[in-house]
Amino acid sequence: MEVKVLFFGVLAEVCGTSFKHYRDVKSLGDLKLRIFDDFPEIVHYNFRISVNSEITDNDLVLKSGDEVALMPPFAGG
Amino acid sequence: MEIKYLTDGPVSGDILLNLIKTASGKTDSGGHMIFLGQVRADEITGKKVRAIEYSAYAELIDLEAEKIKNIILSEFSDVKSVDIVHSTGVVNAGEISLLVFVSAGHRHQAILACSKTVELIKENLPVWKKEIFEDNSHLWK
Repeated sequence: MEVKVLFFGVLAEVCGTSFKHYRDVKSLGDLKLRIFDDFPEIVHYNFRISVNSEITDNDLVLKSGDEVALMPPFAGG
Repeated sequence: MEIKYLTDGPVSGDILLNLIKTASGKTDSGGHMIFLGQVRADEITGKKVRAIEYSAYAELIDLEAEKIKNIILSEFSDVKSVDIVHSTGVVNAGEISLLVFVSAGHRHQAILACSKTVELIKENLPVWKKEIFEDNSHLWK
């Protein structure tokens, strides 16, 4: 299985990419640990997480094709 | 013409003109409230903002903008329509980056609903901005 992770705003700059694919991820918690491993500097930033466009705080089970987004505080207008 | 929530670059006068033309064909509204957000040439620690580069989560924008419209329409019974257009990409200082167009039966609810729509956009629309200074350095907001 494979999920796609999107990085927005300052996080895209910090991670040097706007997306990355992860394979064999069991849960959102598992995915977060792997993202922190790859991009340790993001722990210094505030962000919310959405799974398939739904913002969540829960440790969801992920399935193939899920889209996970890391979103810093919104700054529209 | 169908209005999309995102536009590449500054919000053009044509978008506003189209909304006015659409409004002109309706007879149930007595007042329209328009809000235009503009990029300011702020000076931050001695450096002047030349432009803002906006980025957005397009799929989520559609969902969140629909939610905002539904909140406004359910909260303000006199409001007939809510249109929202936000820029993505580079918008220079002095250019328009946000348009909100609210139509209502009477002016009072048009004014209140427009104000609330702008606040909801600020809180809930997944948009990020990078201020670009005249020396091309930048600051995420």
